[in-house]
Amino acid sequence: MVNLNALGIIFPNMHDSELKELTDHRTMASVPFAGRYRLIDFVLSGMTAAGVQNVGLIVKKNYQSLMDHLGNGREWDLSRKRGGLTIFPPNSAGEGVDYHGRIEALHTILPYIEKAKEDYVILADCNVVCNMDYAALVQKHQELGADITIAYTKEKMTPAIEKNNISLQLAPSGRVRELLTNDSTTGKRNLSMGIMVVGREMLVSIVKNAFSKGQVRFEQEIIAKKLETMQVYGYEFSGYRSRIVDMGSYFEANMQMLYVENLNRLFPEGRPIYTKVRDEAPVRYAIDCKVKNVTMADGCIIEGEVENCILFRGCRVGKGAVVKNCILMQNTVIGPGARMNYVITDKDVTVSEGQYLGGTKNFQVFVKKGSTV
Amino acid sequence: MKECIAMLLAGGQGSRLYALTQKLAKPAVPFGGKYRIIDFPLSNCVNSGIDTVGILTQYQPLVLNEYIGNGQPWDLDRLYGGVHVLPPYQKASGSDWYKGTANAIYQNSNFIERYDPEYVVILSGDHIYKMDYSKMLSYHKEQGADCTIAVLEVPWEEASRFGIMTADTNGVVTKFEEKPAKPQSNLASMGIYIFTWSKLKQYLEQDEADTKSENDFGKNIIPTMLADGQKLCAYPFEGYWKDVGTIDSLWEANMDLLNPNVPLDVWDENWKIYSRTAAQPPHHISNLAHVENSMITEGCEVDGTVEFSVIFANVKIGAGAVVRDSIIMPGAVIEEGAQVHYSIVAENVTIKKDAIVGARPECMTDLSQWGVTVLGEGITVGAGARVQPKSMLTEDVKEVR
Repeated sequence: MVNLNALGIIFPNMHDSELKELTDHRTMASVPFAGRYRLIDFVLSGMTAAGVQNVGLIVKKNYQSLMDHLGNGREWDLSRKRGGLTIFPPNSAGEGVDYHGRIEALHTILPYIEKAKEDYVILADCNVVCNMDYAALVQKHQELGADITIAYTKEKMTPAIEKNNISLQLAPSGRVRELLTNDSTTGKRNLSMGIMVVGREMLVSIVKNAFSKGQVRFEQEIIAKKLETMQVYGYEFSGYRSRIVDMGSYFEANMQMLYVENLNRLFPEGRPIYTKVRDEAPVRYAIDCKVKNVTMADGCIIEGEVENCILFRGCRVGKGAVVKNCILMQNTVIGPGARMNYVITDKDVTVSEGQYLGGTKNFQVFVKKGSTV
Repeated sequence: MKECIAMLLAGGQGSRLYALTQKLAKPAVPFGGKYRIIDFPLSNCVNSGIDTVGILTQYQPLVLNEYIGNGQPWDLDRLYGGVHVLPPYQKASGSDWYKGTANAIYQNSNFIERYDPEYVVILSGDHIYKMDYSKMLSYHKEQGADCTIAVLEVPWEEASRFGIMTADTNGVVTKFEEKPAKPQSNLASMGIYIFTWSKLKQYLEQDEADTKSENDFGKNIIPTMLADGQKLCAYPFEGYWKDVGTIDSLWEANMDLLNPNVPLDVWDENWKIYSRTAAQPPHHISNLAHVENSMITEGCEVDGTVEFSVIFANVKIGAGAVVRDSIIMPGAVIEEGAQVHYSIVAENVTIKKDAIVGARPECMTDLSQWGVTVLGEGITVGAGARVQPKSMLTEDVKEVR
């Protein structure tokens, strides 16, 4: 693998407010997904696969679970003498600002960006799940001679996305003509993935300049205003992705992992997604269990009936329990005879013997981390 | 210095596993859905607080070397100690293959001395069991023994297959017989020894000087120490232990994982078995599948029937395919309509449509023709072909129309 001449900077807390239930005690980046992952795994694995050697995370709050997940970055091959993973907690450089927006966040780590040797910087949020080829993105940026290249997907506007999106209007050349925030025009739109490439020196000067003027929002206050003078391009990502904008889309994005073709598109051979290893044993399916259409991670023991469910690592489904259309996160224990339909359980939830919990297709019951029903 | 280090004998060819050990040493044979045999003794070491392990390799070491790597999955990447793979090497006085188990340790005396240990645990890389060596070490110290041998009570009728220890009421070994015709005890040696290092060193040197010796622990070191009146103690082990040196015992040990009445629990959070695994997405069981009493791990796609089987990572089982009482190793593909009964299917084997591999004993007219079927690594069984029970294949099987 050739090293990629780009530094990665990830914003784990961006979009926290869109998944309030799940980000109560964690960052958007550490929201669990698809049985054994956290959203940040997709960004980190993609960057490592592309040859990024140096990744910085600017965290703001609730980052204990994220730090626990990442450790020293070894699982993503980012435990390096030169570069590797660096986590920047707030105020880490003695600035004493509780930052808002990308500009202030980037300003707190300016020395890190200035000292880096890479010519480019990839900025990334974690709310669009995808297996992106970051090398192709940077290559496109170089070919275009762009100042900024923003990755986007062509998507139909939904009521949930409408409330929280940045869309691009593009010239036939791919150059961004207009950058709109929460534009609610119906039909297919070019939605920003919150992933972009910018020259490192240019980023430093943009951040310094904007910070001195009190500007905080990178996309809206800088890019949108400078489309005339800066070469800003769009880069269409047409691979498999799930955009998570609220609990409904989170549920749906997980349920899409019940289709083998989606699993194979998100986890193609040769482009593995790495995550924290938990050393779980294989799943144990007992005698008399009934299992249909499930996607399940290791460490589970299934004695009851499970249908149309995503099970994270280390779950237990007791004898006679019936679990349908649910997402059970790590170490969920469903007691014997319990019945569940359209429920999302956070980590370490216990549902006692014989209980019934039910939501609907459009409104799932959510059970908080560590609770006992 | 370290109080206690472990030396793990992993050089065995495992010739009785033939088709499974063509390209890898026995300790590297996949086991239990996501492990290799060596994960059990290695995890036991770590869980027992032993952080320095020498692994003695000789036969086909490539897979094993790569698998062990820096030892990180077992938490054995240490600043001082950790895991070290020790192949035979060339010395100023010439070079030797390991002549026997004792000679393998003798040739690595320098490695052991670097840690200046008081005790050395000698382990084998071909047993499946969970054991706390720290308890055995306490016993060794309490007894003031020179050597402690872990023993297991075996059924009397099987005793003549093992190395049998006779011990007095204090646990002191009075007699040791290798595979006795008329056993006087049913305490079988498990091939797990703790030696006081100064004593072992002395006997290894003595053994090396004896040109008639086979340089083997069971045949030479233990009998000589016993004859010399050294204090050898038997440490009774209760729990699951199995030597997986044959196809039948390997098959049985895998099946034991599926039996809730067998005390071999890999789901126990307090005694995890660690392994090196590739990053794979969760497995998927489709609407068409039927799964019962089986183990399945990451990366699998199951559309067929799986019963009483252990399925390793990245296995694909097509619609209408049936897998029963079998062990399917990583990357194998079982196409639509194929059947696999009482078989061990090695890594990356492809079983094409409607092929039938192995048979159920109740379907045999002559039971002497029946046995576990083994398909060696990477072979293809053509569509509609039939592989007879008890066969062991290392070559492709042609399609049958």
